[in-house]
Amino acid sequence: MRNAGRSGDRQTGILAAAAMAILCVGLMAPLALRAQTAAHHDTGKSVPATDEMASKSFGSKSAPITMEVFSDFECPSCRMLYEQTLRPMIQDYVASGKVYLVHRDFPLPMHKYSYEAARWADAAAKTGHYADVEQALFDNQAAWSADGSMQKYVQGGLSEADFRKVAKLMEGCELSAAGVKPASGSTAQAGHGCAMDASIEHDLALGKAIPVEATPTLRFTYKGRPYNTQGFVSWQLLKQFFDQLLTQ
Amino acid sequence: MTILVSSNNNQRKYWLLAGRIALGIIFLVAAYAKVKPQAGMPWSAGAIKTSLLMFAMQVDSYQLLSSGAVAFVAQTLPFVELILGIWLITGIFVRGSTLITSLLLGGFFAVMVRTYALALEINCGCFGPGEHLGVKTLMRDGALLSLSIAMTVLAFMRKRASRPLPEAQPALEAR
Repeated sequence: MRNAGRSGDRQTGILAAAAMAILCVGLMAPLALRAQTAAHHDTGKSVPATDEMASKSFGSKSAPITMEVFSDFECPSCRMLYEQTLRPMIQDYVASGKVYLVHRDFPLPMHKYSYEAARWADAAAKTGHYADVEQALFDNQAAWSADGSMQKYVQGGLSEADFRKVAKLMEGCELSAAGVKPASGSTAQAGHGCAMDASIEHDLALGKAIPVEATPTLRFTYKGRPYNTQGFVSWQLLKQFFDQLLTQ
Repeated sequence: MTILVSSNNNQRKYWLLAGRIALGIIFLVAAYAKVKPQAGMPWSAGAIKTSLLMFAMQVDSYQLLSSGAVAFVAQTLPFVELILGIWLITGIFVRGSTLITSLLLGGFFAVMVRTYALALEINCGCFGPGEHLGVKTLMRDGALLSLSIAMTVLAFMRKRASRPLPEAQPALEAR
C-alpha cells in the first residue's frame, strides 16, 4: 500500500514537472524572440516618400488612410490578396479618396523568381504602367513561377511601345539561370547593374524595420498611428476595418 | 494508508493549483492582448472595436471560416478566454474548467498545425497582432496543451482518489 502511495506521488510529481518543463521551454523561446524583435520595432513614424513610392501607389496622397502592402509576386497569398481584396478596394475606397495604397516589394529568398518579377514591375512603374504589370504577374503567377518565364506575360500586359521602354530599363537586370538575386546593396555599391534594385532594396529595408516576417504584410497608417497585420484579408472585413478607423 | 493517500492527494492538489493558475493567467493575458487598444490609442468602445476587427483579420487569414463565422469567433473568443481564465483561477468545478481548456487548446493547436502544414504565412493572433505563426508558436502552444492535459488528468485523478473506498477494503485493512 505504501509502495502504491509512493508510486502515485512519483507519478504525480513526474507528470506535473514534465508539464511545467515543457511549458517553460515553450514559453521562453517565443518570449526571447519577441524581446529581440521588439528592439527593432518602428515607432510609427511616417514613411519617407520617394519617386518610386509614387509610381507604385494608387489614389490620393491626402487620403486619410495609407495602406502599404509588403508583397512578393511569387507568394500565393499575395496573389489572393491582390485578386480578391486589392482590386475591389482600388475601385472603391481608393477611387473615392479614402485610402492611399502603396505597393512595397518584399521578395522573399525562398521564392526563386520573385526578385526578378519585382524588377519588371518596378521598371513598369518607371514608365507609369505598374498596375498593368502587377496584374499580368499575379494573373499568371502559377505559369511563370515554375520556370521564371515572366517576360512574355509582362509583354502581354503592355502595348508594344510600352514593353520596349520597360525592356530597355531592364537591360543589365537579367538574373542568372538559377534566378539568383544580388546580395543586398551589392549593385548600388558597384555603381552599375540594375536600376530597379535601389527601389526594391529601399522597400526591403522599410519592411525589415517594421519588421515584416512574411508576405503579405499590411500596414495601415491613420492619424499617424500604425496598425499592422499579416496574411490574406477579405475585402469585406477590410472595409469594416476602414469604416471603423474612419469613425475614430 | 489514509495518511499516504491524503499526502498523495495533497501533492496533486498543489500541482493542480499551480497549473490551473498558470493557465488562467495565460488566458487572461491572451484576452487582454486581443481587446486592448492598438497603436497607443486610449481605451474606448471604438478602440476595442478596432482591436477586435484587427483580431478578426487575423482569424480570417487562417482561411478556414466563412466571413460570418470569422466575425463570430473574433467577437466572442476574447471573452471566452476571459471567462475561462477567471474560472481556472477560482477553482470552481476544476474538472470542467481543465477539460474545456484542453479541448480549446487542442482545437487551437490543430488549426495552427494545419496552417503551418499549408505554409500559410500569417500572424498567430494568439496574443494580439504582430506574432508570426512559426515553429516557436507551435512549440509554445504545444507546451500549453501538454500542461492543460496534465492538469485535466490530475483533476480526474484527484476526484478518483477522493472517492470512498469499496466495502471489501476495510475488511482487508483490519487483517
